[in-house]
Amino acid sequence: MTTRFDDGPEFPPDDPLAVILRPPADHLGPPPGRYEAIRRAATRRRLLRAAVAGVGLSCAVAALIALPLHLTSPESPATPSVPLAPPATSGPTAPATPTPSPDRRTLAPTDPRPTAEPGTPTPSTGGRTGRRPPEDASTPTKRATRPQEPSATPARPPATEPTTRQTATLPTPQRATQR
Amino acid sequence: MKRSRDRAASELFAALYPRLAGWCRRLVDDDETAHEIASEAFTRLWARWTSVEEPRGFVYVTAANLVRDHWRKLERERKAVHRATAEAAVRPHTEQADPSVRLLVQSLPERLRVPILLHYYADMPIREVSELTGRREGTVKADLHAARELLRAQLRRSLDHTL
Repeated sequence: MTTRFDDGPEFPPDDPLAVILRPPADHLGPPPGRYEAIRRAATRRRLLRAAVAGVGLSCAVAALIALPLHLTSPESPATPSVPLAPPATSGPTAPATPTPSPDRRTLAPTDPRPTAEPGTPTPSTGGRTGRRPPEDASTPTKRATRPQEPSATPARPPATEPTTRQTATLPTPQRATQR
Repeated sequence: MKRSRDRAASELFAALYPRLAGWCRRLVDDDETAHEIASEAFTRLWARWTSVEEPRGFVYVTAANLVRDHWRKLERERKAVHRATAEAAVRPHTEQADPSVRLLVQSLPERLRVPILLHYYADMPIREVSELTGRREGTVKADLHAARELLRAQLRRSLDHTL
């Protein structure tokens, strides 16, 4: 594309563009008080821009201060939230975990079970074992009734004898009675 | 310091405002709109008075952008009214003062519009247009030539259309 630069006369005499692009210069005088109004508006706008810039700068400074603090903090607050969750879901049915809480010590005298608890950390498991001991105690007694029979012959080796005697003694009388 | 700045602003306003407002008046419909655009251009100039190196060019480019926005707003309103009412009722509104200049300049692309506005309507020499737009003088001359060719073709087409 070849371009013709504007070194010579721009328009031929009969060019309609001369009418459009070379209009007579018009002047429109300002209304009274226009200069003062423009100056006031410019001052307001300058102050507004300065205020916006100040707010933006303060926000940036606050972000620069808060960001390192936020990056260093998240490790520590994550830990306390974790142990608080399980007791809320498990509820009162699991008495084992929160043994060191003082409320249960206050509740302890009311319940008959906690009387066995005062033993420091173990009572939580001891509570369960506290229930079981009677069962365990009962079962050994049942078992004890049977081994008590062989206990009459204590001097013999204990490992094989009760089993063999239990199996041997119990069926035989039943079979003997049934038969 | 402040007094000298105020005096310079006052002298610039006295020398430039009537010409700028008259220039705007040729591109818009009424005196009030021309005053609004010229006042807004001066307000933007003085709101950043210390950072503007070429006040005259800044004012004219700002006014050209405001005139372009004004045209776009008028076009949107005209289309909205055209959709809402009959075309016959709208047609007188579009036929206003100096429509040929406005439509011809409006039909130019953005790159060619500013040199045309500054050189032919603001009477700025090519060297100042070059400094203001950041283009070389040869580029400005080429842009002016391309703009004139476009305007000439547009004018010929509109004349053929009317005949």
